[in-house]
Amino acid sequence: MKTKHKPKFAFFSFTCCEGCQLQVLACEDELPDILSLVDIVNFREAIDEKRDDYDIAFIEGSVSRNHEIEEVKKIREKAKIIVALGACSATGGLNCLKNRFPMEEVQRVVYGDKAKKYKHLDTIPARPIDAVIPVDYYIHGCPITKSEFLDVLKSLLLGKKPEIPNYPVCVDCKMAGNICVFEKGMTCVGPVTRAGCSAICVTYGCVCWGCRGLVDDPNIEAHEETLKRYGLTAEGVVNKFDLYGGWERHGEGK
Amino acid sequence: MEYRFLSKKGIASFLTGLLKEFKVYGPIKKDGFPLYGEIASEKDINLFHTPTHLSPKQYLFPPKETLLKFKNGETPSIESVVEANDQILFGIHACDIHAIRLLDRVFSYRPSDINYIKRREKTVIVGIDCIPDKYCFCKGVNTMTVDSGFDLFLHPLISPNGKSNRINSDRKPANLGQDMSAGFLVEIGTQRGKELLRKHTKTRKTTVKEIRKIAESKNKKAELFTKSINAEPSSLPLIYSGSYNSPVWEKIGKICYGCGSCNNVCPTCYCFDVRDNIQANLTEGERYRVWDACLLEDFAKVAGGHNFRKTRGERLRHRFNRKFQYQVDKFGGLFCVGCGRCSRTCLVNINIVEVTNELIEESNKRS
Repeated sequence: MKTKHKPKFAFFSFTCCEGCQLQVLACEDELPDILSLVDIVNFREAIDEKRDDYDIAFIEGSVSRNHEIEEVKKIREKAKIIVALGACSATGGLNCLKNRFPMEEVQRVVYGDKAKKYKHLDTIPARPIDAVIPVDYYIHGCPITKSEFLDVLKSLLLGKKPEIPNYPVCVDCKMAGNICVFEKGMTCVGPVTRAGCSAICVTYGCVCWGCRGLVDDPNIEAHEETLKRYGLTAEGVVNKFDLYGGWERHGEGK
Repeated sequence: MEYRFLSKKGIASFLTGLLKEFKVYGPIKKDGFPLYGEIASEKDINLFHTPTHLSPKQYLFPPKETLLKFKNGETPSIESVVEANDQILFGIHACDIHAIRLLDRVFSYRPSDINYIKRREKTVIVGIDCIPDKYCFCKGVNTMTVDSGFDLFLHPLISPNGKSNRINSDRKPANLGQDMSAGFLVEIGTQRGKELLRKHTKTRKTTVKEIRKIAESKNKKAELFTKSINAEPSSLPLIYSGSYNSPVWEKIGKICYGCGSCNNVCPTCYCFDVRDNIQANLTEGERYRVWDACLLEDFAKVAGGHNFRKTRGERLRHRFNRKFQYQVDKFGGLFCVGCGRCSRTCLVNINIVEVTNELIEESNKRS
């Protein structure tokens, strides 16, 4: 395909482990083709160049400082399309566990008693980027799956709407030929969690922790009942949902 | 009907012979539960099992399958892809054979589905008699036995001290392995089956006494069911058509996840979506199909965002009607074969027999 000018991509990272960017860089087989179709103008983990003339911005990480709110807003002003990259950015992710505690305590535990003196160590309840700016597309998962990143990227290049699954992990589990974790005497949040991961955790003997966030219309009440029926206490049920789903369930507070 | 006697030793050599020629899929244990999987050696197979959690439809209609490959550019090209290899489905229960016969009807309906048809032609089916678990209700939908649709069908002869005929009340598979010792009566379904049997193992003539045992074990099996639909199968389409506005749909819709597990484990659910996957060079790619499920929220969503079946209750009603009414009108025969998998897989215990019986009861009150 001949393109008159290559679209310019940028990758930004906020509060996270940067593992999703690593997944992008691990697309080694496809990167040569991708780089022949797009220009990457800003990608701290991969290149020195830092330009602000991008069309599409991939944002990784959640927002957990006031300063980050301003930065994310600036990116929104410049980019035509914003893609949330990974759980922290798309749904808040693990970072939102801190929202269970008072911010002063969180700050003190991590940075010590003098933390309050330093402005750059301020901390606010962690949130997904769409709590700050409008987001066009989401790539879910902790970490993202390479194939889904590539699907979204190719869709954007073709001018197609990326297909983000809106069905629960149970579908992926059945297609993978897995025995249900509930049958095996364990519990998971797969029945309300957005699929697209090929049920990789269950396939390899673990359970689904819900890293991809909830489907559009989850039946939370039904799943709370199911978890209780399978022996979880009320607190156990909350913990099950809150590992990745804290923001979706409680927002800033708890 | 032609029968041959096959000993325990004979079945082992039969499998070993088949494995040299074919890919063989049969019941195995995964995490302690019965499931169909590829058989590498005759020791892998777990012939006596309660129903498998997933149906064998995946070997005829895979969860994901490439339909064509395409290439853009100056000379665009399209190449159709039909992946079909010789395979044997070994140890398939009567309900699943009935289900395959229904899929045959669906996929050969105009225009016939070449990918399914080719794969089906290359598939040998060896059935086996089974023991129901607490979710099975094949007897009530006339699929407890099967008289065609297989190449061979194994009727285990129950040994006097075999621990068979035990209802499995929990979800764990029963250990029925001892039955093997008395051997099998092999029902010959096709010439192809007969030749495979002759080629790979030794059989002997059956005795009248042995043949009589088949009827005996059928009668015994018929007594083992704990769930039953309380109406004649032929009356179900009418009962369902009168139940469109039943409060049952809203009631079960409230507890349903819309997870599509009932669809995906069902041996007669065959809906799929077709998608394209283009390579990163944006010039070549493939068109593939992937299982779809009418319980999923986006199944009936159309361009513009309108959803014809927005609520879970509406989607459940649709699926149940596809089993007991709509498909019956189109293809003849119920599209539920009584395997009970949808009820077993449902985490909120929506049970297809109980729901149907509730509708029957409502219908009886109306008339």
